[in-house]
Amino acid sequence: MRWKTVSAIFFLVVLYLIIGATVFKALEQPHESSQKLAILTEKLEFLAMHACVNSSELEDLVKQVVSAVRAGVNPSGNLSNQTSLWDLSSSFFFAGTVITTIGFGNISPHTEGGRIFCIIYALLGIPLFGFLLAGVGDQLGTIFGKGIAKVEKMIVKWKVSQTKIRVISTLLFILFGCLIFVALPAVIFKHIEGWSTLESIYFVVITLTTIGFGDFVAGEKETLEYLDYYKPVVWFWILVGLAYFAAVLSMIGDWFRVISKKTKEEVGEFRAHAAEWTANVSAEFKETRRRLSVDIYDKFQRAASIKRKLSSELGINASINQEMTPGKRTLSANLCEDRETYPTLTRNGSLYLNGLSPDYADRREIAIIENLK
Amino acid sequence: MNSVGKSWLLLTGLILFYIIYLLFGALVFSSIERPVEDELRRDMEALKAEFLNQSCVSAASLENFLVRVLTANKYGVSVLRNSTVTSNWDLASSMFFANTLVTTVGYGHTTPLSDTGKAFSIVYALIGVPFTMLVLTACVQRIMYLLVIGPVCLLQRSGLEPRPATVVHFVLLLVLVVLCFFLAPAAVFSAVEVSWSFLDGLYFCFISLCTIGLGDFVPGTQPGQKYRPLYQVAVMVYLFVGLMMMYLLLRTFHKMSDLHGLTSFLQLPRCEESDVDEDREPIVDREDRTPPQPTEKAASRPLDPGSQPSYNTINKG
Repeated sequence: MRWKTVSAIFFLVVLYLIIGATVFKALEQPHESSQKLAILTEKLEFLAMHACVNSSELEDLVKQVVSAVRAGVNPSGNLSNQTSLWDLSSSFFFAGTVITTIGFGNISPHTEGGRIFCIIYALLGIPLFGFLLAGVGDQLGTIFGKGIAKVEKMIVKWKVSQTKIRVISTLLFILFGCLIFVALPAVIFKHIEGWSTLESIYFVVITLTTIGFGDFVAGEKETLEYLDYYKPVVWFWILVGLAYFAAVLSMIGDWFRVISKKTKEEVGEFRAHAAEWTANVSAEFKETRRRLSVDIYDKFQRAASIKRKLSSELGINASINQEMTPGKRTLSANLCEDRETYPTLTRNGSLYLNGLSPDYADRREIAIIENLK
Repeated sequence: MNSVGKSWLLLTGLILFYIIYLLFGALVFSSIERPVEDELRRDMEALKAEFLNQSCVSAASLENFLVRVLTANKYGVSVLRNSTVTSNWDLASSMFFANTLVTTVGYGHTTPLSDTGKAFSIVYALIGVPFTMLVLTACVQRIMYLLVIGPVCLLQRSGLEPRPATVVHFVLLLVLVVLCFFLAPAAVFSAVEVSWSFLDGLYFCFISLCTIGLGDFVPGTQPGQKYRPLYQVAVMVYLFVGLMMMYLLLRTFHKMSDLHGLTSFLQLPRCEESDVDEDREPIVDREDRTPPQPTEKAASRPLDPGSQPSYNTINKG
């Protein structure tokens, strides 16, 4: 890609980010301020209600509680019968989020050893997962391709054009995939986790694009009893859904590329048109000059023949008085078919004299003679 | 065994290995982290008991209060005294958030609270993620010519054999990237951020540049951070450039393994060149190779006689 295209796209991305920033700010800041106000009022109420607590003690407590929550320990409720965040199935889930680069963050390692191991683990695991994803995507593609081929065969009978078939098959792919990997899981999550529809779809999209905020995580609600096979099924869904999303995202990227290619083509066409127009104009100009020079040539011929007649009648030798100007030399060379003696001056089968234009030539002389064949 | 059967076998083998890898990770994480978590839990209980002992607060009202505080905190709204001034959604922070969204890092330290915000995030991500990937690919294609093909040809000219030249170059590139994008920024972060050690900085750099983005460490979120908008913009730039270098590394590695026959051995798709750069000289020319394995997924075009020096022509020496 040319540098210009790259920098253009880069500026577009920056613009996109700025637009996103302003929209998010406009949407979220009021909500945030109201939340802040609410929690501050809570705090003041609490302090007012319980006079024996001073605010610095409370601050201390809150700080410790918050950092405990970050570490994954929820201090509210009865602590003893809470399930650990690092039992085997949750650790399995965590390892999965690291390798798929989703990285929810509701659980994260807090020991130095844990963090170092996390780095090494990810270094090896992410390429491994990349291979797996490539393989799964491939298989998914072939399975789906076979289905599409059958559908295309049916549609061809209705005599629809090739591009329409392509478009229809792409749309079918998106629709089908959305149904299986987005809509269905969203409904299931809504039912099991108790989220709203928007929150379920939000969770599905944020997870499958590997963004993974972690504000909603399937299978992490402590108040619910999950079936044993719930988490593994979620993990399997993430794997296949990721392959599907990778395919969709690369398709969108391809569309962008096709659009930029089309724009380039159109720009190229425009340039070609402009070049054609310029070529036409200059060809016309040359044609006019040619006609003009042929006209002058004819007149000169007539004048020369008249002069010869006169001189022969008057008995004067024509060759003494006449100077061999370059134009006349050209003329005589061409007429005598002596073009071979001046090989360096010939171009396109006619004689040129070092680019002499009509401006330089004498009125009686012809500077450019074209196509005297 | 025909190639279809072979690919299925390979896939199941990969899945099995993947599951084993996950189990292994789970075991190790569990054994490292669990004791620490138990200790923290005991500390919390002691803290609560202490607090309740010396005050007139009843357990129930404390619970209530804590639940409210924690819900607010989950969305990044803190109740502590000195955090009332900075918002999480001023322009620079929102831009930082948008950036974490489109690069798929997704820290999660701030998340959209309102319903409209969530809906907008969905649409924004669906458009922005492929867009960002396109930009990254475009930039990497240009940089690849500068940083990869040029030096490799240079190495070749200085007398190295073709294949070791690529390996040497890859190792050099790796060392350079680790130095400039992991070690140096880690030092900077540990100096700027108050509570981060060098290991924390390194951990943060790694987790961000792999786009995992756990969110336990996020720069610029400490209260009282000086020049916060500038800092956040600088981190954004670092993330973007770092991601580009990681992608460059990945692509170089992919091309290198193409050259050494690894990808055809594992029956993976070969490093495809996009057809965007038709208007300039192609960065990699497909050559008419005769690989040892007869099954090849991508078609190889024969090499043009007047082509530019490219990665795969190195094989012909």
